[in-house]
Amino acid sequence: MLYDLNIAWSPTTPTDRLLQTLTTAHSLGFATVALNHTLELPFPANPTTPFPALPSSSSSSDSNNKNKLPHVLHRATLPLADPAASNYRLPSLVSVYDLLAIRPLTEKAFQNACLTLDIPIISLDMAQHFPFYFRPKPCMAAVSRGVRFEICYSQALLAADPRGRANFISNATNLIRATRGRGIIISSEAKSAFGLRAPADIVNLFNVWGLQSEKAMEGLRTIPRSVVVNEGMKRDGFRGVINIVQVVKKDAVEGDQTDDQSSAAEQPGKRKNQKRKNGGEDAQPISKREAKKMKLAARAAASEKKVS
Amino acid sequence: MVRIKERYLLVNIIYPPDAAVSRARVPALVAQHQPTIAKLTPQALIRAIKAEVLLLYGDYGAGALEGNLSVKYLSLATSTFILRCNRAHYQLLWSALTFMDRVPVKDGRPCIFRVVRVSGTIRKIEEIAVDRARKLILKAKAEASSHPQSSPSMDLLAKDDAMLEVVDSAVSDEDMEDGS
Repeated sequence: MLYDLNIAWSPTTPTDRLLQTLTTAHSLGFATVALNHTLELPFPANPTTPFPALPSSSSSSDSNNKNKLPHVLHRATLPLADPAASNYRLPSLVSVYDLLAIRPLTEKAFQNACLTLDIPIISLDMAQHFPFYFRPKPCMAAVSRGVRFEICYSQALLAADPRGRANFISNATNLIRATRGRGIIISSEAKSAFGLRAPADIVNLFNVWGLQSEKAMEGLRTIPRSVVVNEGMKRDGFRGVINIVQVVKKDAVEGDQTDDQSSAAEQPGKRKNQKRKNGGEDAQPISKREAKKMKLAARAAASEKKVS
Repeated sequence: MVRIKERYLLVNIIYPPDAAVSRARVPALVAQHQPTIAKLTPQALIRAIKAEVLLLYGDYGAGALEGNLSVKYLSLATSTFILRCNRAHYQLLWSALTFMDRVPVKDGRPCIFRVVRVSGTIRKIEEIAVDRARKLILKAKAEASSHPQSSPSMDLLAKDDAMLEVVDSAVSDEDMEDGS
């Protein structure tokens, strides 16, 4: 399973071209792609999903459309220049998009994104020159916090001037050096199908730029997968921890309904137990160890009083 | 007598299907692997690759590939070619191919150069080229005959294809160890 978490999309992108990009991505071996919508900063109070309805991604169902599509996710990227970014109503976006990413524009914003912001991906526009360089400390802090850096290779491929390409290579090697190649997602940010490349080509290209080929392969497979799964979990699961995978049908369990009832009767009792542990409102049976501890504490207090 | 170590690169030219073509009920697979119409000659190809290497790597790259870069095989009908280069500098050549984005003739069509296989012997590369061409035909036939339900064999081929890309570089590393 290969992932490409950034295919550039804007409301003006014609559907034809989008379909062309998606089919090309699928034929190059990418199983999951994310359409990226770059937001402008004063975004509406209650955002709605702007993406067009695509023909269903599953290959077997569509008989008229022979061109197979990859699994499509929706992603939003937020350019940030202001370091005080904690109040941008990120939670309101969470329900609309499958993934969120931050594109910091200044050093302050970059540091803030690395150290505090609660987002899975930091994406950088590497074709431009940054007035700062990536220090290992915040970068490694971000990686160990679970934030991933994204490098979009299409910025280098389609860079019009050689300066942009040189900037990209310098930024990419710096970032790889700062993170020692850990926690890097490789994606395309392709505006058309010609910005895409085959996975093996990408791995070689990043190898030339100093990222070991195993790490580059991880950046195409394992790391984006972990991000996608985590984000899915955050949205579906209860507090990002518990998820209902499947509910057993009622008639299937009809046979052992009595069992069910008994367990249901048990549960409130259990809950009471827990409450007592936490609150300690009716603590009648104290364990032996507890009693011993209390006795010891009382004795110590008494001896202290004597001394003073 | 020490042999000169070489690398052979099997490259496909891929044309992302136009919107118009995909409406004309040509499967995307066939459209992507369509023949190259432009009158591409080995000389023009070499020249374009050298120009790209010169642009990306300057005199160092041009010098590294001088004299030992050659086109071993060029088939316009299948949009496939085989390149030979020095083993030490094959990554340089490969990255230059990745950066190329159109057929190197006058007013060439935009396309993607996809390196399918890197190997130390031309025999292996030839086998793989033949094998891939056969698989492609089978896949296209399967797609044409049974579009409502994708057959399991076709999915298998597709999976194989995706895996190949990743195994690819590992194989070439192995080759390198064998050769040295």
